[in-house]
Amino acid sequence: MAQTSARPALLAAAAMLALAACPRSDTSPGPQPPNGGDGDASEDGRILPPPIPAAVKLQRIKPLAGHDPSARSPLLDHMLAENKRWATSLASAPVPAYFIGYLIQDERTVVIDATDGGVINNADIEDRSVDVEVRVGSPELDNLRTLHNAELEALTSLQRVGAMPFGTDREAIAHHLWLETDRRYREAAARYALVVNDQQTNGSQTDRPPDFSHEKAEVFIGKPASLSIDKAKWLERIRSCSERGHSPANKATRTSCRVQFEATTNYYVNSEGSQIQRSRVNARLIVSVGVKADDGQSLVRVEQVFANSPEELPTDAEIDKMLALVNKDLNALHAAPVVDPYVGPAILEGRAAAVFFHEVFGHRVEGHRQKEETSGQTFSSKVGTKIMPEWLTVYDDPTIIALNQVTLNGFYRFDDEGVRAQRAELVTDGVLKGFVQGRDPIKKFPKSNGHGRKEPGLNAVSRQGNLMVETRRSVTKAELRQQLIAEVKRQGKEYGMLFTDITGGFTNTSRLGSQSFEVTPVMAYRIYKDGREELVRGVDIVGTPLTALGSIISAARPIETFNGMCGAESGWVPVSASAPSLLLSSLEVERSFSPNDGGPTLDAPSVTNRSGGAR
Amino acid sequence: MKTSLGIALATCASLASTAAAAPVKADPGTKSKAVTKPIVDAVVAEMERSQRELRIPGAPKPYFFAYKLTEVEVNDVAASLGALTGERDRHFVNLEAHVHVGDYTMDNSNFVDGRNENMDGVVSMSLPLEATPSLARRAAWRTTDAAYKEAIAQIRTKQAQLKKGAAGGVTKIGSYSKSEPVVSLEPVLVPELEGTDHLGERAAKLSEFFRGKKNVRTSRVAFTSFLERRWLINSEGTRVHDTRRVSGVLITVSGQAADGQELNLYYSRYGMVEADLPSNKELLAESKRLVETLDKLRKAPVINDYAGPVLFEGDAAADIVRYSLARNLSGTPLPVGIDPNGEGKRFGGSLLKKLGLSVLPRWLDVVDDPTSNELGKRSLIGGFKIDDEGVPSQRIQVIDNGRLEKLLMSRTPSAKIARSNGHARLSMPGGVYRGSPTNTIVTSRKKLSPRALERRLIAEVKAAGRPYGLIISQIDDPAITAQPEINRLELIRLWRAVSSDGPPPALVAYRLYPDGRRELVRGVLVDPFEVSAWKGLIATGRTNRIKNFLASTDTPLLARARGVGSGFVPSEGVESAVITPDLLFGELSVSRSTLGRRPAPLIPKP
Repeated sequence: MAQTSARPALLAAAAMLALAACPRSDTSPGPQPPNGGDGDASEDGRILPPPIPAAVKLQRIKPLAGHDPSARSPLLDHMLAENKRWATSLASAPVPAYFIGYLIQDERTVVIDATDGGVINNADIEDRSVDVEVRVGSPELDNLRTLHNAELEALTSLQRVGAMPFGTDREAIAHHLWLETDRRYREAAARYALVVNDQQTNGSQTDRPPDFSHEKAEVFIGKPASLSIDKAKWLERIRSCSERGHSPANKATRTSCRVQFEATTNYYVNSEGSQIQRSRVNARLIVSVGVKADDGQSLVRVEQVFANSPEELPTDAEIDKMLALVNKDLNALHAAPVVDPYVGPAILEGRAAAVFFHEVFGHRVEGHRQKEETSGQTFSSKVGTKIMPEWLTVYDDPTIIALNQVTLNGFYRFDDEGVRAQRAELVTDGVLKGFVQGRDPIKKFPKSNGHGRKEPGLNAVSRQGNLMVETRRSVTKAELRQQLIAEVKRQGKEYGMLFTDITGGFTNTSRLGSQSFEVTPVMAYRIYKDGREELVRGVDIVGTPLTALGSIISAARPIETFNGMCGAESGWVPVSASAPSLLLSSLEVERSFSPNDGGPTLDAPSVTNRSGGAR
Repeated sequence: MKTSLGIALATCASLASTAAAAPVKADPGTKSKAVTKPIVDAVVAEMERSQRELRIPGAPKPYFFAYKLTEVEVNDVAASLGALTGERDRHFVNLEAHVHVGDYTMDNSNFVDGRNENMDGVVSMSLPLEATPSLARRAAWRTTDAAYKEAIAQIRTKQAQLKKGAAGGVTKIGSYSKSEPVVSLEPVLVPELEGTDHLGERAAKLSEFFRGKKNVRTSRVAFTSFLERRWLINSEGTRVHDTRRVSGVLITVSGQAADGQELNLYYSRYGMVEADLPSNKELLAESKRLVETLDKLRKAPVINDYAGPVLFEGDAAADIVRYSLARNLSGTPLPVGIDPNGEGKRFGGSLLKKLGLSVLPRWLDVVDDPTSNELGKRSLIGGFKIDDEGVPSQRIQVIDNGRLEKLLMSRTPSAKIARSNGHARLSMPGGVYRGSPTNTIVTSRKKLSPRALERRLIAEVKAAGRPYGLIISQIDDPAITAQPEINRLELIRLWRAVSSDGPPPALVAYRLYPDGRRELVRGVLVDPFEVSAWKGLIATGRTNRIKNFLASTDTPLLARARGVGSGFVPSEGVESAVITPDLLFGELSVSRSTLGRRPAPLIPKP
């Protein structure tokens, strides 16, 4: 099961983004889709949206841009030396190892949290860890092959990072690399024995692709990142944010603001000769309000902005706009009725459509899911087949750092297996072309396209980076709403649905469960035939992917972006998804689960605030 | 119990004793900036409003409210081979609301619903690091409301299950005992924390010693400096403030025997402040001793299964008190809903039925004394002034002339003991505290010198016609030594191979031969034994051994499964101390353990 906890970024606030911190970027207008015909009709007679040229402004950073050998850390030399010592020895061991990868990650995280005018958390943490990958056996069959016995598989999967001293002292660093390699090799050898036994007892697929692909060694040295922040200023800004947002005029009983800065440097070497030193600074500002509805349902409205440096975060005036928006929405949600189960036409506005695509499509085109026998393999046999309207094109490109001046959270230069980030073609003109792939080859796709990703300590699998949904036909948003109403009338429904914000969701890709998805919209409206709109709460969108994708009938620019963190078996990784607003002829909605313990028994206490005024 | 913080420290703590006896060093300390009188007043005001107005029609009424405000500051460092591996400073404030519905004779507490263990009438949330009364009051409002709703659900399920006969059905033993209100809100000053920079430099410097040590596979030095301020408020009128302060150091080394068996050794000391800890010179001497012992252990034989006399000396004597006797001194009944033969075992309780009976030889006494915090020049970290339920701590003579006179009580009464004696410390599932050991002092009137004790052991060995006796000098603490190289499959195997309620393996043990020769052995696992085995004690040493440690309700296996994370000084558990002479048991059984055997590294250290 894959999960997304995606909190859409505020487009307006993020539009101030600049790329000053990056060594070099190139700006390109994005892929130019082939022209389509005017005034076409689809097979079922619906009028298609008119073709229009691409209107996406992309900023890319090439993986090797900014390569600076003078910034090389001695850590890489210590890592190379120890890696070589082990690789030489283990190549001829009784149970030989054929691949050793070392990742040392330095991370400084600064988090400031405030609620209702008080700073709750002020943390500044520096951490260093080591993650050693040892592959035993051969690329055709190695210790990472999934076991048929699911219980044994779960019990022997290791999730661990090792301790690694700070600094660059050779003896201390080399010793801890030695220690962790010894542990990992022993674990890998033991696991390989289980794999071999499993193959002998449970049979092996003769036509199964290998377990690991050969990839080109990469060398890249980027300057290590550092954080330069005025903490006192941020403490006051965040405290003030949570106080300004907290007003008796609003329904929220909790107003929280949070800023999080991360400077991460990854040092990676492997026994194939790769040496990569890459750094990244992330900044994130989140405002959130919450209240319990009268029936006890917890209502939360969140807005967040991702940026590549502290300076790119919103100004106080922009934060005020975010606060006003979340409070306005939460007030409306508090008064809104609970949704009724519904099946019918619906619009997913840009960010909601993006989350929808990430869950419903993106997780199912992750390469390794086409291979595992327990996986649903929704799209495995669909390559070359039309799976969505021919005017939609989908790809994943981690080298994009900004789209229409909004920072994309899924940017990286090299993936966590040392492979250069590349654009993965997924759907071209509605036809499935390929998958996002790490170094776990699948039939007809033997190589990685730079999407092997993980949290340190876990095994990398293919993951999304920046998922892009492009349309070469588009109406305006107002026209899209008219099309929705037309579809409502056509289907004889009372109303259609409009979703403007989705917090996240999950999708089950395993055969061991139903092949369904569920996403949780925060802002969901009924759109009546007369154009009237009504907000509802407690909504889950549910369905099955092929049906959902097949029911897309129209789209409206602009393309909007959601940024977030995505969790799956290889941990949490930063991602983005971008899509135009989409009209679907049919989407199913059900009531979400909500504990029914009622709202607070007593009214909020009446006390004075910091400045003495009554709350 | 749930906490929005997710940091165990806030919920597992007790207070160190404060004013009078504390060996407060030069630094007089400072008052809290986060929890001031207006903050406490705001919580009190909200509690009083809840007392007057908080009712849900048709639902049981609340009759008791209690709040614990906890401010924790903690600095941690860990180092290996001369370089820092981790550094962390934390500061947080937590408000915890306890609501009891019904009345003292029958309320929601001390009951665990297996379907929802969090439903316990206890809810907590974070407070700001700066004093903001309006936020404190709002937090009290929200936590009280949520705790009240949990308490209602909890009592309904509890009553239904008691009616069906759970835990012997409905009895006349009350649910919660009354307690006299205590008011003591004066600021309690304790020395400020030692800084992470200073502690980090010290740890890094000390950890250099292990560089180049041939047989040392892993090593680390960690320091902690901890300060907790707490305020307890309840609807009976209690308003108390107390503070505790602890600094600690640990040193660990590990290696492999010739047959691949994992070898662990550790050294730990706690005091009130860093100045109470051993000097660098002493710590280096301990480091040297650890390496020397490790070198010897590599070549030491694995013991065979053994039954016979066992002498626990030094830290091991304190540890066997900790793992076997002290954990059974609680008089708090297990929460309804916990299987006494399953999960309940880790909370002890073997002495519950033996009140008034002889449980130790007549020449032994056991006192549990949270009112002291020093013995000789050594700190005892188990002391405090007020317990977690706002009850003043009391010195309790638990065992007198071998007879079990009293047990350690919280406000949850038992059939035999109705009132608290100020020992509420470890929190339990079901929203209550367990009467818990604090500074546990074993006193003997049958004292022998070390040589005489060994001679007595030899005499026992000869009388039984055995080739040798056994001496155990150090017992493992997996919360300190657990190695990460254990996967879930190995853990399950370990779980099946080792009883979860026995003491952890011995780390340092010797065969003692009739000619007086000691032979270092490894693979010594003392089999689980009943408290009744303590009746078979033969004699004790003369010198009192003091061991400070963090007591947790985790079993040693669970601690091993949790691992040591970043390698910091563990923070799970409550501060405790055992003071005991060396202990000679007449007969215990020991199993040969070959656990932890792994192939040697294919290449030498770099």
